[in-house]
Parts: sequence; C-alpha cells; structure tokens
Amino acid sequence: MSQEEKQLTEKESLQIITEMIQKAKANIHERGTSAIMWGTVTGIAGLVSFFENYFNFYIGFDIWLIVFAAIIPQIFISIRENKVRKVVTHTERAIDAIWIVYGISIGCLIFFINVVPDVSAKFFAAEHGEAALQHFPRYIFSAGSIFLILYAIPTLATGIISGFRPMLLGGIICYLFFVVSCYTSGTWDMLLMGLAGIINWLIPGFILRSRYLKGKPC
Amino acid sequence: MFKDLDPILHSQLRLAVISLLISVKEAEFTFLKEKTNATAGNLSVQIQKLKEAGYIDVVKQFKDNYPQTICKITPQGVKAFEVYVNNLQSYLSANK
Repeated sequence: MSQEEKQLTEKESLQIITEMIQKAKANIHERGTSAIMWGTVTGIAGLVSFFENYFNFYIGFDIWLIVFAAIIPQIFISIRENKVRKVVTHTERAIDAIWIVYGISIGCLIFFINVVPDVSAKFFAAEHGEAALQHFPRYIFSAGSIFLILYAIPTLATGIISGFRPMLLGGIICYLFFVVSCYTSGTWDMLLMGLAGIINWLIPGFILRSRYLKGKPC
Repeated sequence: MFKDLDPILHSQLRLAVISLLISVKEAEFTFLKEKTNATAGNLSVQIQKLKEAGYIDVVKQFKDNYPQTICKITPQGVKAFEVYVNNLQSYLSANK
C-alpha cells in the first residue's frame, strides 16, 4: 500500500474495501481468560453448595464468597487486556456492555435476595400480626432459578452477536436448566447453577483459549 | 449521470484506512500499519490528510511511557464513506 497516489479502478476500490473489512473482522481475538475464571468459580461454588446440602456438611465458610473474590483478578485481567488491545471493534464494545450490565444485575439480585425476605416479613407482620411470622419463610423461593435466567442472558447474547456456538448452546442449555430448576429443590438448583457455570463459561472459555493459541479468530 | 468519486477517499491507502476504521470503534496506528502493510511515514501522511478532511479523529497519548496514536472515524467520515460506496456501486452497475 505504498503507492498512495496510484489511480484506482472501481473494482480495485471495492476489493480494498472488502479486504480491509474482512481483516478488521478477523482481528477479534478473545483469550477466554475471564470466561475460564468465572466458569471455574461459579462451577466450584455451585457444586460445593450442592454437595454441602446433599451430604449435609459445611466447609467452614460460604463458598459463594469465591465469586466475590474473583472480582479482584477480573480487574487485573481487564486492565491487562486493554493494554494489549490495539483495536476496539463495535462487536467487542457491545459484548463488553452486555457483561457490565450483567454484573450490575447480579449485584442487584444478590441485594434483592438479602433484603426482600426481611422486608416482606415486616409487611406481613404489619398485616397479619407478629404471631403469623412463625410460619413466614425468610428466604426467596427458587432463587437459583432467577440466577439461571441471568446467567443465560449475557451468554446467549454473546453467542448470538459473536456467532460463537459454544456460548449460544450454553445460553440455551441454561434456559433449560431454568425450567428444570422451577420444579426442583434449592439443593438441586445449586447443582444446576454449578453445571451452568461450567457449560456456559468454563468450556467455551477453554475453546476460546485453544483458538487464541492457534491464532484463529473467534 | 455519474458523480465524481471523493478524491480524499479515492486513494489506495486512505481508502484502506477508512475501510478499516468503519469496521471498528477505534484503532491504534500500529494496527492500521499492520493491516495495510504501509510504511509508518506514508501512513502518517495519509492519516493527516483524512484528519484535515474531517473524516477521522486522531488522539495522541502516552501508554506505558510509549507514544500511542488512536484513530477513530467521525460521523462526517462515515457519511463520506457511504456516499463513496454508493457512487462506486452506480459505476459498477453501469459497467455490467
């Protein structure tokens, strides 16, 4: 491309446009680091919670805290990825926005699950009297189902936008898990959440990593 | 009746740069250099011409103590590219 003043024919112009748009598209390289990390922590948290409830033991701390702890390495991963990123595509920007909104929504859902049972109990007591609180549940029924819907949204959206089949499939499976979770107890919901983490993010993350190492675009 | 193709865009390297930038939100100078296989000097000159025409925005900053040039297509650049492609299509369909 050094002969900048060379007179172009219409066909050459069209060829340049097509070639450059293809080159820009082919540049999307996702390393899969974040997907592997989040898939691992949600997978471990879900499976450990399931085993704790099913076999009736306690590991000594709330295993879901590892999901919060994963925010710290995620910050470092994001900073590092931004440093090596030479180009920001519209697709990457849209996918980033989806995951940021997902993160905010998960935060809101955790807040909802922790606040609403007590607030509901207060309203219930005001309406039916303190004595009626004896049988009032202090938890949200099938909260795992709501998490499964939220897991599915960014995964399926990413799969559709980027045309990445493992995430597309993961998102669909996650919606199936949601339907199943509506009929299962909280213990089995934990198993579904753990499996969703593995299917939605861990496996696609490894596929992305393998493609990145082979130098293939997503 | 054919309209003249925009002389700013009707150049091999400038068209390549605009075609890359239309596909992305923003890109570093090194990315454009790598994809167009142009020399740094030639690319700088063509980027400057696109900037003067108002087709791209160029931001120069430092990243990890190294200078970094980020290019981004402007709404005026998008419009010019659309007009260029439309005119190109009319030329090509007339030549069929």
